[in-house]
Amino acid sequence: MMGEMILRNLLHRPIRTFIGVLAVAVEVSLVVLIVGLTSGILHETAKRVEGVGADVLLQPSSAGRLMGMTNSPMPVKIKERLVELQYIQSVAPVLLQFNSSGGVELIYGIDKSFDEVSGGFVYLQGHGMEGPDDMLLDELAMQSKHVKVGQKFQLLNHEWNVVGIVEHGKGSRIFVPLSTLQSLSGSTDKASLFYIKCTRPEHTEDVIAEIKGILPNYTLTAIKDYVSMMTTTSIPGLNVFVDAMIGLAVCIGLLVIFLTMYTTVIERTRDIGVLKSLGANSPFIVRAVLCESAMLCLLGIFAGVGLSYAVRAGFLKAFPTLAILITPEWILKAAAIALIGAVLGASYPAWVASRKDAVEALTFD
Amino acid sequence: MAIAATIPSAQFEGLRPVDGQGLKKKTVEPILKTENLWKLYRAGKVEVPALRGVNFSVAPGESVAVMGPSGCGKSTLLYTIGGLASASRGTVLVDGNDLAQMSDAERTKLRRSKIGFVFQRFNLLPTMTAKGNIAIAQYIHGDGFDPHRFDVVTKLLGLEGRLSHKPSEMSGGEQQRVAIARAIINEPKILLADEPTGNLDTKNSDVVLEMLRQLNKELGQTIVMITHNPEAVTYFDRVVHMRDGVIVDGVPAD
Repeated sequence: MMGEMILRNLLHRPIRTFIGVLAVAVEVSLVVLIVGLTSGILHETAKRVEGVGADVLLQPSSAGRLMGMTNSPMPVKIKERLVELQYIQSVAPVLLQFNSSGGVELIYGIDKSFDEVSGGFVYLQGHGMEGPDDMLLDELAMQSKHVKVGQKFQLLNHEWNVVGIVEHGKGSRIFVPLSTLQSLSGSTDKASLFYIKCTRPEHTEDVIAEIKGILPNYTLTAIKDYVSMMTTTSIPGLNVFVDAMIGLAVCIGLLVIFLTMYTTVIERTRDIGVLKSLGANSPFIVRAVLCESAMLCLLGIFAGVGLSYAVRAGFLKAFPTLAILITPEWILKAAAIALIGAVLGASYPAWVASRKDAVEALTFD
Repeated sequence: MAIAATIPSAQFEGLRPVDGQGLKKKTVEPILKTENLWKLYRAGKVEVPALRGVNFSVAPGESVAVMGPSGCGKSTLLYTIGGLASASRGTVLVDGNDLAQMSDAERTKLRRSKIGFVFQRFNLLPTMTAKGNIAIAQYIHGDGFDPHRFDVVTKLLGLEGRLSHKPSEMSGGEQQRVAIARAIINEPKILLADEPTGNLDTKNSDVVLEMLRQLNKELGQTIVMITHNPEAVTYFDRVVHMRDGVIVDGVPAD
């Protein structure tokens, strides 16, 4: 009976119900997408680093988890010392260049040793880099930048020849010759990091200990540990940003639900008086208002989940290189957050409704 | 659906009290009794007495019409004896329970089980159908939907063909019949009616009044009704007149 009453009340004012549902949907999708975007980018980055196939990552001591955020590249000559060490199969220096024009991306400057570490690219089109101005892109970067093999592409104020499209998942989306990138960035004979391949994965810890002995001032990370470290909680300030965005989303939902239910209670003052004349007590009135708010919220949650997937699909169509990770865990968390916000938002209107004087309510116009 | 002004007596089968409770008995305790009832309203810094020491009683199974000019306290009396408003002073005994000593929650509980209301403006829930408006009274009562009782009451009031309609799709007379059905669905001890024919034309007024009369005669339903209509009083056992918050005549000699 309560369910029927609530459903009919929601259908009685379709526009108001729609606004309430939309607010909750926006709230849910904001939470899901913001978390999805941050964790998606981190997760995707980590997977691509893992996809290189190396076992150890050597970086300067000042390097942050988000690659490319360093101003102190290392000498490439470090490679010569590393390859002499026991259990090391191959070493690939990589120069990172952060590009923000026409999109946010990290460019890898690599040499032939990258193929030794990674096992080589899988070419979907074209071939490997041969000339100093050759460029490789993965298929997602190709879609994003609308380029084809054989075309010229302007990047870092330099004209490149797109010679190959590779399967995504190996470190970066854009690859250029190491020497050319060094010269363009003024980092001659420098590398931002080294990918190190061990003779056997079991030797990873031994290799790390050995390298620390000769290069104590550098940061060494086992690739498997790197992947697990790429979370929002391990990036300074990122979890604060995510929490702030979630808080903002909750405020939006809570305020709209508050306004919706408050106007509902005012409009239905006489109905509340009728219910009281029938013997409905204060808990009944409160329950009716909160249940209506909860049902509104549930509809909004379903709409929000759908909206999240739709927005993600739209973003991925427009920006194929973007990674938005939508997980069941965060859908449930967003739903719970929305429900708590809806109940809190409806609490005051419910209390107001329960406190209405029955006689005054019955004569309300 | 046209409804006869008189409901055939046979239709009350299944609703009549088994043990004779509710039928008018002059020797039993009043089912409703007020003693020195005062109701004061505060208007700014001034206290306005709406009821001034009202002594009023109704026997079980009796039907009483309360008349008086606007502002004399008729509605206040009705709402106070119905537990919707609290008494400022005095006693209000409903089936032996003193409402004046009860909290709002206790009065609500008593109202749920012992009192039915019918209002001038029908006061149906606009989003619910006729069936929903009647059934919600059963839901609030706590016993859940009783289909047998529901069918008997709706048939009695000629509502079978209108149950799926919302109030906006019904005439005033139909809406008031739904309101009466809602008021009696839980077999209240007392039915309180606040000018139930005030918004109806003459024909529908007569129908509603006749229904109330038959509920009283056939089922022994105790009814207290407020009215401005002088012709309505012919449907009731007794008429009580009020003026300026007091009863001026019509108090029973019990």
